[in-house]
Amino acid sequence: MPHYNSRLPVSRRDALHRIGAGFGSLGLAAMLADAQVTAQDGNSPPSPLAPKAPHFAPKAKHVIQLFMPGGPSQVDTFDYKPMIAKYAGQRPKTVDRKTLRNTKNGLFPSPFGFKKYGQCGKWVSDVFPHTAACVDDICFIHSMHTDIPEHAGAMMMFNLGHLQPTRPSLGSWLCYGLGTENQELPGFVAMSPRAQPRGKAANWGNAFLPGAYSGIYANIASMKPDSILRDLKNPHLSRAEQREQADLLAQLNRFDLERQHQDQKLESSIQAMEMAFQMQFAVPEAFDTTSETKATLEMYGDSEFAKGCLLARRLVERGVRMVQLSHSVDGYDIAWDTGHGNIEHHRELAHKSDQGIAALIRDLKQHGLFDDTLVIWGGEFGRAPTSEGQKGRDHDHYGFTVWMAGGGVKPGFTYGATDEFGCTAVQNRAHVHDLHATILHLMGLDHEQLTYRYSGRDFRLTDVSGNVMHEVIA
Amino acid sequence: MVARWIMRRITWTNSEERRRCTALASVTARHDRAVRECVRILASLLIIFISTAASADESVSDNLRQIEFFETKIRPLLVDRCYKCHSAKSQPLKAGFRIDSKAGLLKGGDSGPAIVPGKPDESLLIESIRYESNEMPPNEKLSDAEISALTKWVALGAPWPKESTAAVPSTDKGYDWQVLSRHWAWQPVRKGEPPAGEGHDRIRNPIDQFVTAGLRDAGLKQAETAPAAVFVRRAFVDLIGMPPAPSELEDWTKRLAANSGSELNDAAVRQLVDTLLERPQYGERWGRHWLDVARYSELGGWTQDNRPHPMAWRYRDWVVRAFNADLPYNEFVRHQIAGDKIGREAAVGTGFFALGPNYSSDGGDPESVAQAKSETLDDRVDTFSRAFLALTVACARCHDHKFDPIPTQDYYSIAGVFYNSREGETALVDDHVMRDYHDQQRAISELLNKIKKSRQTAKQEKREISEEEQEQIDRWQKDADDRKAKAPPKYDFAHTIHDSDSRDMQVALRGNMLKPGGVAPRRFLRIVAGEEREHFTEGSGRQQLADAVVDPDNPLTARVIVNRIWLHHFGMALVRTPNNFGTLGERPTHPELLDWLAATFIESDWSIKSMHRLIMTSATYRTSSAFNETAFALDGDHRSIWRMNPRRMDVETWRDSLLSVTGELDATMGGPSVDNIVNSNRRTLYAKISRNDPLASDEFLRLFDFPIPRASSAKRTSYVIPQQFLFMMNSQFMLDRATALAKRLQHESNEPKSRIERAYTLLYGRKPSDRESQLATRFLESEPPSGSGPNRWQQYCQVLLSANEFMYVR
Repeated sequence: MPHYNSRLPVSRRDALHRIGAGFGSLGLAAMLADAQVTAQDGNSPPSPLAPKAPHFAPKAKHVIQLFMPGGPSQVDTFDYKPMIAKYAGQRPKTVDRKTLRNTKNGLFPSPFGFKKYGQCGKWVSDVFPHTAACVDDICFIHSMHTDIPEHAGAMMMFNLGHLQPTRPSLGSWLCYGLGTENQELPGFVAMSPRAQPRGKAANWGNAFLPGAYSGIYANIASMKPDSILRDLKNPHLSRAEQREQADLLAQLNRFDLERQHQDQKLESSIQAMEMAFQMQFAVPEAFDTTSETKATLEMYGDSEFAKGCLLARRLVERGVRMVQLSHSVDGYDIAWDTGHGNIEHHRELAHKSDQGIAALIRDLKQHGLFDDTLVIWGGEFGRAPTSEGQKGRDHDHYGFTVWMAGGGVKPGFTYGATDEFGCTAVQNRAHVHDLHATILHLMGLDHEQLTYRYSGRDFRLTDVSGNVMHEVIA
Repeated sequence: MVARWIMRRITWTNSEERRRCTALASVTARHDRAVRECVRILASLLIIFISTAASADESVSDNLRQIEFFETKIRPLLVDRCYKCHSAKSQPLKAGFRIDSKAGLLKGGDSGPAIVPGKPDESLLIESIRYESNEMPPNEKLSDAEISALTKWVALGAPWPKESTAAVPSTDKGYDWQVLSRHWAWQPVRKGEPPAGEGHDRIRNPIDQFVTAGLRDAGLKQAETAPAAVFVRRAFVDLIGMPPAPSELEDWTKRLAANSGSELNDAAVRQLVDTLLERPQYGERWGRHWLDVARYSELGGWTQDNRPHPMAWRYRDWVVRAFNADLPYNEFVRHQIAGDKIGREAAVGTGFFALGPNYSSDGGDPESVAQAKSETLDDRVDTFSRAFLALTVACARCHDHKFDPIPTQDYYSIAGVFYNSREGETALVDDHVMRDYHDQQRAISELLNKIKKSRQTAKQEKREISEEEQEQIDRWQKDADDRKAKAPPKYDFAHTIHDSDSRDMQVALRGNMLKPGGVAPRRFLRIVAGEEREHFTEGSGRQQLADAVVDPDNPLTARVIVNRIWLHHFGMALVRTPNNFGTLGERPTHPELLDWLAATFIESDWSIKSMHRLIMTSATYRTSSAFNETAFALDGDHRSIWRMNPRRMDVETWRDSLLSVTGELDATMGGPSVDNIVNSNRRTLYAKISRNDPLASDEFLRLFDFPIPRASSAKRTSYVIPQQFLFMMNSQFMLDRATALAKRLQHESNEPKSRIERAYTLLYGRKPSDRESQLATRFLESEPPSGSGPNRWQQYCQVLLSANEFMYVR
């Protein structure tokens, strides 16, 4: 069925004037001809997700957060500490700190080997060979720290900047501050391969921000492109048949608008309905990877996490503001919590995510998206260099590693440091609030200015804290 | 218009909004860096007013604005760009000049005074930052915006708040009570004489006198009276949350139009309001408004907040009953704070607190435990103070309230009451039923204990269980099983709160309960109850607290509730921040009217139904919502109430109305909640509600702006987003409603034209226009969609149900 408006460039006022005169003997098609006009009309009030200008020129336009719930161990991945082996079994004062379970054990050397990679000569654990090959694109922050050593609260801190699930998530703040570039797709998409991360919707929730800023969740393992959003597809009607129905609704709404004169809300609802119509086709297209080349699919490999990485690239390519991809395994909402069990399990988790992560960096570069997209890797805290039980590590909130790549951060760069054993951030200490302030800064937002008035005061993602880490910015 | 107002609120580019207050949230600062940060801010923000104390509300708020300007724009700039070389901590201090106090600026350094307040062009500081003399800061010139901010600040006279030397402000010495107590909301309610008003023939009661006098002053005219049919639909939706049936519409329209002119018949208006107030659906509709305020939820569904409340619906039903019975509002409040001391039915009201989150820690380290406990108390104080008093007392958890005279100690005076209260159950059955249940359960557990013990003994003695023992165990087991099979089910109960102790709490320094400060006697807020306040010592003190809230001399309680009632009749409240009457809230658009209503409300024994009658019989409530270009240009924000504000239905009203016009609504009242309301025909009120979206209904409700019940919500947002239309176009719910409506139309009429007319009457309360009929006829006659999907009538019905006109109340 043709799009009637394409051959009828009428202004809204003309259209209203014309329908006001009645139809006489026109056919259905002609009667509905003006129905879609308003959707293109610049006079309608903007949707809450319409793009908004940042506070200042941004370095990045999109965020892909690779969230590792459970807390990956820094000293077994990216924060190489040979001193642990030297003092194995001992408990020097530096590491004699109270962690969650207050273990009293000595230093426990990483079971994994480390090698030097890239021009920057970064030491990376053997469990991340693919990511290691990308170190010259990555900016490592070794001096992260957070408030408490327990998962639930620390995860909220990492994703909301607050220990309880009562605040909006990072992605919600970004959509509130910047809107999103493609009105036919959600502005903020959260995904995980299996279990949802602990805290579930709170990790991508809007809390007191308007509902339009909530993340949309998709489960990678069970997702089908045409059911990513609820009620995305009409069970009975073809696109053409539904077009007629949508046009009829638009026409009746326009009659109503005419009767009610300039009610902005009515205008925006006609516009939103047309957007919804288009979403039905844009969303499944974005989530359908069958059009990707064989080379691309092979580069990512076949893990579920890698599929999430590929979807993340497709989504930012189409203008989605933020993608939060959480790593998870069947039935466990904090996958990287291999601490009190066996740190050896890190090997498998790394294996399942490594190739996809490296492919994402390469793919973003190939698509010219790397400079505009900030990739963030990390969990809610790290793990102690001492052992818990025989081969495990307890939670360590005093020091951990997060890395970023792309969108305005220095490539092949290392910022901050933990002590000689990797327990506590000692140099250029960076709290999660500082990370958030830096992310907002890279996106062109001043974290102190991005406020929302609620319950008698202005809230911020960074609460009363946060300093931008200017040194990591390219 | 609503959209524009909301957009302005949420758009960060609005500098006025951003300047008003930087976030100073209720964090518990644990980490040393965070603590340093907090101390810096607390020390600097402890607000005392600038030396030239203000003498009127306006100048108080001017001063506040200047201090905010300083704290948000100037101080951070000085700290970032100047302190390194020019503050107490600078090593070495450059040019002998300190910029970290006003005195330092006035004294200046080696080159003389740095500023002349009010005269930026004569100030060395401004010259230097403009790089006109010295070039400061030397490494990089300030941005133009920063230079103009500093220039403006000096021009304003360089306002600088008095600094406290104490690192932890925990006393109220910082407030100038005399000045602060001038804020409108702390003044006693005064019932003034209504002004003369305009258009005497239309004035129905004093509301109209206040409103039309305001309109006259604003140079505006009140809109005409709405057509009778529009008024009937408005009244139905407002009071019972559903449109009238066609016969009701016809009947009431006739009665209302019994006058010769365009005015509605007064007696008929009164009768209509009375009739609707008597319907039980009234309580379902208005109870839901209160449940928003009470952040009502049945499930936390989340690691740190997972205490289940399977009987939460008892509180929901209690609220509905209270509205239907017109329980006086002061009693309604009393029952919710201390109903456990009044009686079984009243105790159910304490679900208001009992159903709130009970945060726990999932690791058990002491800091997380303390944090969880204080966060739970924060919920109680926050919900209590915003719901009943429209005060943001929770802002004072870590530091004295920045803008309202609420010292930290007052926060802990209120928190202490809830610190001595615990969550429990109240049985809703006769004592013997409860005793019976517990006797049976005790007997069963005793038997099971015996079995356990017997096995343990054998194990301890490192031997097998003897045959004799095994026989005994089997007998016990059988007895236990028999009893279990016969035991009565758990009796009905409600989640309620009870006293656990009677001790004053200590102030938690900077919100950290691991760092206790001075004792905070349990008592009411000083700004309301004065300096000499009663010490709450009876049990937790809840009963005394409730008395203080509903004391007729309390200037807030009655104003707050009449403002909420007004909000739901007009879509906009008289105080547009219904949960915040503090200095950062908005001032009332009609202060004298608000007071007149509050005083009248108390005089009529706190009767909410009387308030509905008063409001709904006014000419102001009867006005048309028709657009008027002139009035809109003058007052697009609708502050003068020149017309009825057209409103989009909330999700409950919309869904209930859909079910009611298709004839499918299941009007059963009360009882356990429905897990997935989308698949049910019950009213939306009966959806199971959670704080973390694990339920199928959550997604549906949230799509249409149902608030996340983590905190009290005074006013719903109303956003138009594309996903709502996905629901209308594609959901099974809408397809089913369309099918039902088509069937109903088919059943009620044989002829297409009269079916179309019937549909318009049912849904919109009017006849279709010619072009609407023509369009419908043409659509219905056109070639139907292929396949086994909906036919043209079903498609048409779905469109009618999805239309804006159905979703709006005018």
